[in-house]
Amino acid sequence: MNQFENSDSHSRREMLYGLGASLGSVALTSLLNAEESASDANDTSTGGPHFPAKAKRCIFLMMEGGPSQIDTFDPKPELSKRHLQEFNRSGDEQSAMSSGKRYFVKSPFEFHQAGECGADICTEWVHLSKRVDDICFYRGAQAESVNHPTACYHINTGNRFGGDPAIGAWTTYGLGTINENLPGFVVLPRSSYPQGGAANWSNGFLPAAYQGTPLRPQGSPILDLRPPNGVSRERQRNNLDLLAQLNNSHLQQRTGRTELEARMNSYELAFRMQTEIPEILELDGEDKSTLEMYGIGHDKTDAFGRKCLLARRLVEKGVRFVQAYAGNWDSHDYIQRAHGSLIRSVDQPIAALLKDLKQRGMLKDTLVFFCGEFGRTPDNGMRGGGKSYGRDHNAKAMTMWFAGGGVRGGHTLGATDEIGLEAVENVHPLRDVHVTLLKLLGLDDNRLTYYHAGRFKQLSQFGGTAIEELIA
Amino acid sequence: MHLIAARHFAILPLLIGIQAAAPACAAEPAATDVTPGEKLFALRVQTLFVEKCHACHGADPDDLGGEFDMRDRISMRKGGESFGGEVLLPGDAKKSHLYLVTTRQEAGYEMPPKEAEKLTEEQTWWIRDWINLGAPWPSDERIAAIKNEFAEGVTAPTSGGLNANWTNRRYEPEHLWAYQPIEVESVPSDQHPIDYFIDRRLAAAKLTAAADAEPMKLLRRISFDLTGLPPSEDLASRTNFVESYELNAAGAVTDLVQRLMSTPHYGEHFGRQWLDVARYADSAGFANDYSRPNAWRYRDYVVRAFNNDKPYDQFVREQIAGDEITTASPESLVATGFLRMGPWEQTGMSVFRVTRQQWLDDVTDSVGQVFMGHALQCAKCHDHKFDPVPTRDYYSMMAIFSTTQFSEPATPFLDSENQTGFQKSNQWTTAKITAYQKQLDELQATVGQARRKETGNAKIGDNGLSPGDEASLGRMRKNIGRHTWELDRTRPIAYAVHTGKTFERKNVSNRLRLPQNVWGEGYIEDDTILVGGDAFTRGESVKPAPLSAAVNLGNMDVKEFPAGKGKRRLALANWIVDPKNPLTARVMVNRIWSWHFGKGIAGNPNNFGGTGRLPTHPALLDFLADWFVKNNWSVKRLNELIVTSKAYRRSSRHHDPAELKKLDPKQALYATQQPRRLTAEELRDAMLAASGELNRQIGGIPCRPDLNLEVAMQPRQIMGGTASVYEPDASPQQRNRRTLYAEKTRGLRDPFMETFNQPGPDKSCELRETSTVAPQALTLMNSDEAQDRAIAMAARLLKQGSSPQDVLKRAFEIALGRQAQADELQACLAHWNAATKEETLKTYQPRHYPSETQRTVMAEKTGEPYEFLEIMPAYDHYVPDLQPSDVDANTRGLAQVCLVIFNLNEFAYLD
Repeated sequence: MNQFENSDSHSRREMLYGLGASLGSVALTSLLNAEESASDANDTSTGGPHFPAKAKRCIFLMMEGGPSQIDTFDPKPELSKRHLQEFNRSGDEQSAMSSGKRYFVKSPFEFHQAGECGADICTEWVHLSKRVDDICFYRGAQAESVNHPTACYHINTGNRFGGDPAIGAWTTYGLGTINENLPGFVVLPRSSYPQGGAANWSNGFLPAAYQGTPLRPQGSPILDLRPPNGVSRERQRNNLDLLAQLNNSHLQQRTGRTELEARMNSYELAFRMQTEIPEILELDGEDKSTLEMYGIGHDKTDAFGRKCLLARRLVEKGVRFVQAYAGNWDSHDYIQRAHGSLIRSVDQPIAALLKDLKQRGMLKDTLVFFCGEFGRTPDNGMRGGGKSYGRDHNAKAMTMWFAGGGVRGGHTLGATDEIGLEAVENVHPLRDVHVTLLKLLGLDDNRLTYYHAGRFKQLSQFGGTAIEELIA
Repeated sequence: MHLIAARHFAILPLLIGIQAAAPACAAEPAATDVTPGEKLFALRVQTLFVEKCHACHGADPDDLGGEFDMRDRISMRKGGESFGGEVLLPGDAKKSHLYLVTTRQEAGYEMPPKEAEKLTEEQTWWIRDWINLGAPWPSDERIAAIKNEFAEGVTAPTSGGLNANWTNRRYEPEHLWAYQPIEVESVPSDQHPIDYFIDRRLAAAKLTAAADAEPMKLLRRISFDLTGLPPSEDLASRTNFVESYELNAAGAVTDLVQRLMSTPHYGEHFGRQWLDVARYADSAGFANDYSRPNAWRYRDYVVRAFNNDKPYDQFVREQIAGDEITTASPESLVATGFLRMGPWEQTGMSVFRVTRQQWLDDVTDSVGQVFMGHALQCAKCHDHKFDPVPTRDYYSMMAIFSTTQFSEPATPFLDSENQTGFQKSNQWTTAKITAYQKQLDELQATVGQARRKETGNAKIGDNGLSPGDEASLGRMRKNIGRHTWELDRTRPIAYAVHTGKTFERKNVSNRLRLPQNVWGEGYIEDDTILVGGDAFTRGESVKPAPLSAAVNLGNMDVKEFPAGKGKRRLALANWIVDPKNPLTARVMVNRIWSWHFGKGIAGNPNNFGGTGRLPTHPALLDFLADWFVKNNWSVKRLNELIVTSKAYRRSSRHHDPAELKKLDPKQALYATQQPRRLTAEELRDAMLAASGELNRQIGGIPCRPDLNLEVAMQPRQIMGGTASVYEPDASPQQRNRRTLYAEKTRGLRDPFMETFNQPGPDKSCELRETSTVAPQALTLMNSDEAQDRAIAMAARLLKQGSSPQDVLKRAFEIALGRQAQADELQACLAHWNAATKEETLKTYQPRHYPSETQRTVMAEKTGEPYEFLEIMPAYDHYVPDLQPSDVDANTRGLAQVCLVIFNLNEFAYLD
């Protein structure tokens, strides 16, 4: 009668997960259903990749605030000539920020060509310059929004207005989790959350099990992970035992109620997580040279170094998707100081991550993706009459890079115009970047769909084209 | 074997049709000598090509996917870059790639590419058979004649699609159910109508329904379903219900329902469910996430509407067009807040035309989903793929809102609005502003001095200022502005709309006042189709109009909607509540049903279109829709009708589970009641009720409960700085109000609520999801929220000074609404004793609540972190909830038992 009503196994899943009105087209392998899916082995909708792929997991380095392509990976010597020349921009589609009296700004940084591939990179990237042969730089992407929250939602969820699942949620939904004691999608936010907040790693309309779990840099890594002061692990165990005893007699009168059993299991899982998560976060087990390589213990690099090392440890433990935040790259003014400082804080950690993954033989099946929510303009507004040498937001040009599993390393693809204002070669909208990321992970955006609010939804919203040149 | 049989099944009716064909009507050109291939093409294949292929292979002749054009036979024979002339070999489907790609056998060449749009096996056979029959392609006239004579399915008359093919498309009749006029079956007068419809389906399935629920379980279910709160703790009233239930079940339930609906908690609970649909929040979301200081009045309007049993038609009219009905009534103005509930902001970085369009899209889609059960967004860029909603209808609906403008007019408080706590709220807000102002003055003096010493080309950092100083100036000014706007919270202002000209704004960071002359400054927007949904590409003009398919199929009277300066929304509101509107009553009745049964009669309360789940009991839905209208759109009466049915009263346990599973695998027949988990709000409220801390005051400005402290202190970026820290209300009474009243900030969700599936307020939530994940266990075992409630409950139980046995008995009664079993008592008693023994050895220090906090964030201009001090005036007078240090070891030991009780499945689930 109805194409969306499915076999028995679906109603079982619905009961267990209470999916309510929404049904997925891909299996729901998740935090809690390892046993369930095992018993559902003949469910044709069971997930896993759609086609063979080299990358099995992904580390997404989110450069929040919008790093400047012109001051990192896309040199524009033309700007030196136009430096401080004035011009005006106007029109219906311009915001207050991008119109009015403006002037061009040259990059304060030097560039060189690094690696065998001769990639353009600013010399501030001392460490990353040594890893460029593993990297595919892409200069053709275009975003649609020049507002931080909408642009962050866009790169993270494919939808500028929020509320949709993040790419990490889609990936775990498609590929399932490997370690059932850990969330499949982990986020390493900065101590301050990005504009738009936790909706940036939301499960959206996907079941809650696909939500990104933030591991907080300070305080309790997962909220309420530990019992409050004064409650020992033994006390907790005793509480759980009494809970199980009372729940059991309740369950005996309600046989077949799988959601009650699932809830009982979730307490045991939570109890295991209480030891498992701190073990992963405990970096002491790493040898000294590793800590040193990531810049841990050094003022400038410690924070992001920890995130990068943690990202490696998490994927090693079977987490499918890790997103680490760095920033804020929103350098409207004083870009030399602000970008310089940020590059120094992430350069060594990121280079160490690539090196470490490679040494461990993991880079070949781990996808590393670096990008911000948009790029920056070659010019700046005359704010307050001063010339504080920064850059505004630019959706038409940005640089992102890919490394690892399935990526064509040692290449630079796409190009922007002579001042870095707009992508002009191998130009693709963000949805194509999303399709490409999924493809590298073995997922077909057109098949990774979920029925919600009247239609099958997908990360790219309406479909897109993979950027094949990026793929090895 | 199967394949052949199925193929013949697919094509046979067509062949038979031809033999029987005779000129049907002399006026129409008759299709004579129609070949099977022509017929297959005209009735099936052509539409398939248009719907599934033309988007890439024909819609834009300048941009053909793979250089392949499918608009006519010649182009198709030519083929494209992949297969050339081998695309279509008439008579040989097996070698024609046109057919082969649809079978999705070869990786990389699946067509259509999207899995969700793949052809059914039968559809691929149509293409195969058409090719094998010579791939004939009749003229348009002949196709029209063939369709006229032979087409199956029904057409849906609409205002017309972007092309004739869409306009004339045919639908399976059952997918148009929601547009058909309501058909009412008569019900024998001695029968409960709901049971009449439910029981006859059960009888047809030869399935016996479960017995009535046990009275205590039913009492708990009804209490939560109607008020979101556990049943009264008064033992006499419980016993009373059990006794009268055993004498006369229906009568006892009727009394109970009426009693519960006469308490104001009924409106709170039903209001909360409506607010899920309306997406209520107290902030605007996005970069600034500004407070919406007067949104709470809309929340309370909704609560009052349910408590006063405001007829639903009036409820709808006020929310859509209250200001156009009258600006003299505060209720009417406050109600229009509905139209502005979605996230929205306009900053200096956004383009007005874009944000305006964003709201127009949002309101069009929301009104469609909420009142008509139709997500209209699908028709924004193209005619709807499944439903008879042309793009023209989408923009005609949008035109209704193109003269709707945001305003926050002065609107006096009603006596029924709770105005307590205004003074304290203002005091806190003012203290916050004063603290920032003082810091700002000091910093400005320092910065001013340093700047005076600057040389011409100074960079930041050269002038002796610390990196955060300049960032802090911006942050403080920003927060002063934010808090100053928040002072509007206690002022008589409505978060509302008016009808008038559109006025471009660069930045909205303060109250929007009602213009003196709404038709003065600004412009009246052009009402046009936006091509491809792009705000800057205007197409054909449209006039304000409602959903054409509902008008036509529902046999509604056609009324012209006003345009220009007319009351467009009022026309829409009246159209929606027109008793002949086939959608409105069905949609609301279905929502209310879903609030009682956990699922709608039609499975997607926000989507009555072809892709929503069809109603399982269409006759029942129609009966209830008609009944609802005839009973003056009374939600209370409908609730009573539903809750007094046997279907609602049934036990959630069936006497023969195997039989149940066999005969009703999808649990669609209502042989048992569905158990459900408490919602996030119900869980917290139930804990507060059990601990005796729940403040049952109704309505008023948002309260600020204790939030997980780490989340409260979490720096939250907003445009140009960091938002103020979250400070809870100073008094426990204000903090421990029902969760409905907790301030709902889009960018700062309460992790407790979020974990237990409270939906985000950005999209309309048709029904709550219940998932089971480990963080819920962590929250309910370890959070301060759960621990504090457990301590308070233990202290409360011990106050009565009874024996340990009696204390535990009372705990079970309060929390679970039942007597404890002997073995349970024994286990709990042992647990209590052991925990007390441990606790005796411990000492606790009272928690310290500092009234300032050091925070660290990153300065944009330097890329370096900086620290600053934030003053938290709420903690000057903060009175904590009962803490471990306040009570003795015995109480703390009992609190461990209470904590376990809060975590029980039995506590979290209703049978």
